[in-house]
Amino acid sequence: MLYDLRQSDVRVRWLVTLLLATLGTSYLFGAWMVGLYAGYSPRKVAETYGPAGEMPMTMQMPPETTLVTERPISMAEMGEEQHHVDLDLLVQDTHVHMPMYAVIAACLSVIVLGLSIPRWAGLSIIALLFAAPWLDFAGMWLTKLASPGFAIVALAGGWAMALGYVIVAAIATYQMWWRKT
Amino acid sequence: MNRLLLGAAAAALLHITPTVVLMKREDAVAKLLPGADQFVSRELHLSSADSKRIHDAVGWEPPDGVVTFYLGKKQDQVTGVLVFMRVDCQHGPIELAIGYDPHDTVRAVEVTKATVEMKPWIVEALRAGLTNEYRGLAVAEPPSGAEKVKPHVGSMPGYMAELIDKGVMHANAAYRLFYH
Repeated sequence: MLYDLRQSDVRVRWLVTLLLATLGTSYLFGAWMVGLYAGYSPRKVAETYGPAGEMPMTMQMPPETTLVTERPISMAEMGEEQHHVDLDLLVQDTHVHMPMYAVIAACLSVIVLGLSIPRWAGLSIIALLFAAPWLDFAGMWLTKLASPGFAIVALAGGWAMALGYVIVAAIATYQMWWRKT
Repeated sequence: MNRLLLGAAAAALLHITPTVVLMKREDAVAKLLPGADQFVSRELHLSSADSKRIHDAVGWEPPDGVVTFYLGKKQDQVTGVLVFMRVDCQHGPIELAIGYDPHDTVRAVEVTKATVEMKPWIVEALRAGLTNEYRGLAVAEPPSGAEKVKPHVGSMPGYMAELIDKGVMHANAAYRLFYH
């Protein structure tokens, strides 16, 4: 243990608690946003990140000849935006989100360094904290470039992010404020 | 340490601000397809050859190779066509709605989305009459809205006008090459 959160100054514990509360709130809104724009089922995620249009599960390569599909839609459907992340937007999303995820994983990892847990557990949690965003974005890119089936990897990444946060927040809060020795 | 701070400042400056809706899509549809009471979505999955055609024409091809035209109809007659077009820049994306009348000319253009940062620049360009310049434009003509408003607006609104010109040009090329 590089430092001990249990024995740390109350100001450090207060800082960590507020950081966890703030990150937790942002994660809740993140989950809400995912629900709004991408969804939680592999199919929804594949539709969001896979090739555009109505044939996401079957079309990966450009067709030999241009394919045209027509269907009647309502005014409401026209207004509803089918959120789809194309290649350009995915580049932008990756550029914007990956550094932030790295900073969040680093902050949570610094908290892990102060927890009274076995070394292997610390290493595993830190690995989980950094693996989760990698899985998330690897899933999005593989869904885009390889197969919509990889949507499950993006979902796993998202859940892994939530799991990592819950583990750190629960152990840290318990050790900081309840188990002082 | 200085390098680290500089990096953090650069990262903060490069961060793209959130998207804002300038006009709801429903409102854009009502404005650009007036009188229509039936709508049809026509989705084209472009072949490599067609993607190359549009790329050769305007230096752009649709993301993921898909172009969607929304047709407005009244009593089974097409009254207009609408295309939503996204233009990306380092400040984030802009979404345009470009409406066409049955004579293959631009009926009107609306900016439906931008980012918080770009909104005031776009609003200034729109107040200078940018979208008036597109009305009646033939799909083969290059849009020149930016050229008209640039003397009356600041440099960033002028840049936004250039991006909007570019979006209209892309939509016009898609319409010209693939609609009929």
